[in-house]
Amino acid sequence: MKYAQIDPGLFLSVSDSTPMYQQIVNQITTKVMAGDWPAGQPLPSIRELASASRVSVITVKRAYAELGQAGVIVTRHGMGSFVAESRDLSTTLLRAEFTKHFDAMLASARRLGLSAEDIRRLLDEQADWSADSTEGSTP
Amino acid sequence: MTTAFSLSGVTKRYENFALRDIDLSMPEGQVMGLVGVNGAGKTTLLRILSGLALADAGAVEVLGHAMPAQQVAAKKDLGFATEDMRLFKTRTLRWHMDFVRAIYPGWDEAYATELLRRFDLRAEQTMTGYSHGQRVKALLMLNFARRPRLLLLDEPTTGLDPVARDEVLEALADVLRDEARSVIFSSHNTKDIEQMADTITFVHDGALLASREKEAFLDDWRRIVCLGAWLPDKIAWPEIAAARQNGSILELKVRQFSDGLLKRLQAKGVEIRSTEPMSLEDIFVTTVRAGGVA
Amino acid sequence: MNFSSLNLPVIKLLVAKDWLLFQKQLAACVLAGIVALCLIGMATGWSFYLGSLLLIIVLVSASCFSISTSLLVERKEHTLAFVMSLPVTPLDYYLAKLVGSLVTFLVPFLVMLAGTMLVILFTPLPDGLVVLSLLIFGHVLLAYTASLSVAMAVESEGWNIFAMISSMVLINPFIMLLGQLPAISDHVKTDTIVFGPVVVSILLGQLVVGVAVLIATGWVHCRKKSFY
Repeated sequence: MKYAQIDPGLFLSVSDSTPMYQQIVNQITTKVMAGDWPAGQPLPSIRELASASRVSVITVKRAYAELGQAGVIVTRHGMGSFVAESRDLSTTLLRAEFTKHFDAMLASARRLGLSAEDIRRLLDEQADWSADSTEGSTP
Repeated sequence: MTTAFSLSGVTKRYENFALRDIDLSMPEGQVMGLVGVNGAGKTTLLRILSGLALADAGAVEVLGHAMPAQQVAAKKDLGFATEDMRLFKTRTLRWHMDFVRAIYPGWDEAYATELLRRFDLRAEQTMTGYSHGQRVKALLMLNFARRPRLLLLDEPTTGLDPVARDEVLEALADVLRDEARSVIFSSHNTKDIEQMADTITFVHDGALLASREKEAFLDDWRRIVCLGAWLPDKIAWPEIAAARQNGSILELKVRQFSDGLLKRLQAKGVEIRSTEPMSLEDIFVTTVRAGGVA
Repeated sequence: MNFSSLNLPVIKLLVAKDWLLFQKQLAACVLAGIVALCLIGMATGWSFYLGSLLLIIVLVSASCFSISTSLLVERKEHTLAFVMSLPVTPLDYYLAKLVGSLVTFLVPFLVMLAGTMLVILFTPLPDGLVVLSLLIFGHVLLAYTASLSVAMAVESEGWNIFAMISSMVLINPFIMLLGQLPAISDHVKTDTIVFGPVVVSILLGQLVVGVAVLIATGWVHCRKKSFY
């Protein structure tokens, strides 16, 4: 399969409080989920991405390492990095995002002193939320 | 792996200042950022690397060449620019470009023309007409255009307007593409270093406080806001660089963050509200104020 | 000092640069010098006096401008760092400066010397003047090398000016001393050119001292520890 040449310049912000490597991880993840970078697409070399996005090489290295660990990309020694071939990649990533928010919610709940019962009750109150969104009704 | 440069046991004494016992090295293909207050020794360090100042003691090696014995060989691949360097006032930038081109075979005329455009410089103007910012850009351009293997830059973005600074960073980013080229630059603009450097080196009062990989360094430092009526004992808690209290709110700046530290704080009855990374600027100021142990 | 590793191409470029920077002053000196020579050639009392005064002024000016352009201005304009960042050793730089300065000075100097000789020989002026004027030119050259050495070794503008002025001012007592020597005073007003042993040894002495001063300066320069 012929892969299009990727524009390696990511849009990174110095003023964003998110660490640079995290911004890179987020943007690449977004691109993968949005379909910009299809499965198997070769990623720009670390130096290429660093130069085009104006960040240090070491930051890109770290971002690629994290992406590798998260299963978003696959690095083959001597051949470079590629977007992972997993068919359920989008789902995997969305699930990972969900788990992160879920854990954060639980930690917050613990600090508030909520019990599992309290959380279940709150969920029930929100029970209609999925029904609302699928009907797409607007008052 | 080839080394871009290495300093061992380097000492240089001036009348009112001394650079003492510096051990520093950098492998090829990296960018090192030098951080330090005015007069800390950053310029002296760069001058020693360039051969413009000779160390009183210690060994200096640049691009595999011993300095100053093999300075000609080293300088063939070296780019150097400091704040107080000047070009020939009565000559035009074009003259300087021709002068440099005649000396360095690596001169890229096409790239030089592009840099002229990006830096907004007029080649036919004599240097007397150049403002500070234009002069800095001209000097940088003369260095960038010959693609040296090692760039020694002292405050390359200081005193430049935001557009000019952006263009200089762009040109620096171009260097990253080549894994055989390296940069060491000093800057008051810690944001530049935070963004572009692979390694960060703190210089203070003629000594090296720290030289570490940027990511690891930034990871180690945290600002912790918590609740608790407790001030840490500096000696018992060496990880804590600074602490401030306002009523029940306690702000800690930590140089060695770990989950273990959080647990120990909680054991002291302190309630953690937030932990966040610190900017390089904050780390630098905190380090200097804390008495210089990074 | 390793002479085999001299960076000749860059030295040539640096000398060319100094030559280029000196053009305007060079033209002015040569022009004034020609006027001086004309005045001397007219061989009347007042024109001779005026002419030789002007000639000495021209030589001193050439000396000062040459040193000023190649060394002092470079120091004031802080261009040393730029030059030393090029692939050159301190020795390369010293030699480039030496050759550059000497070339920029020797051009007007030799033109004046030749012109003076011609004027003396082809005008009613007594040919015996050749010896005296050669000795004076010799002194000017020696004063120049001394000033050049001071400029290379010392940064203070004050000391440099002092060196240039005092070495040139010494011409007066020097000429007076020469006048006392029978080897010279006997023949000055005649048409015979006599190079006696005294004259030759003075000329040789000037040459040897000049060269020694330059070598010593070079040695000192190469032992410096900062070039910016």
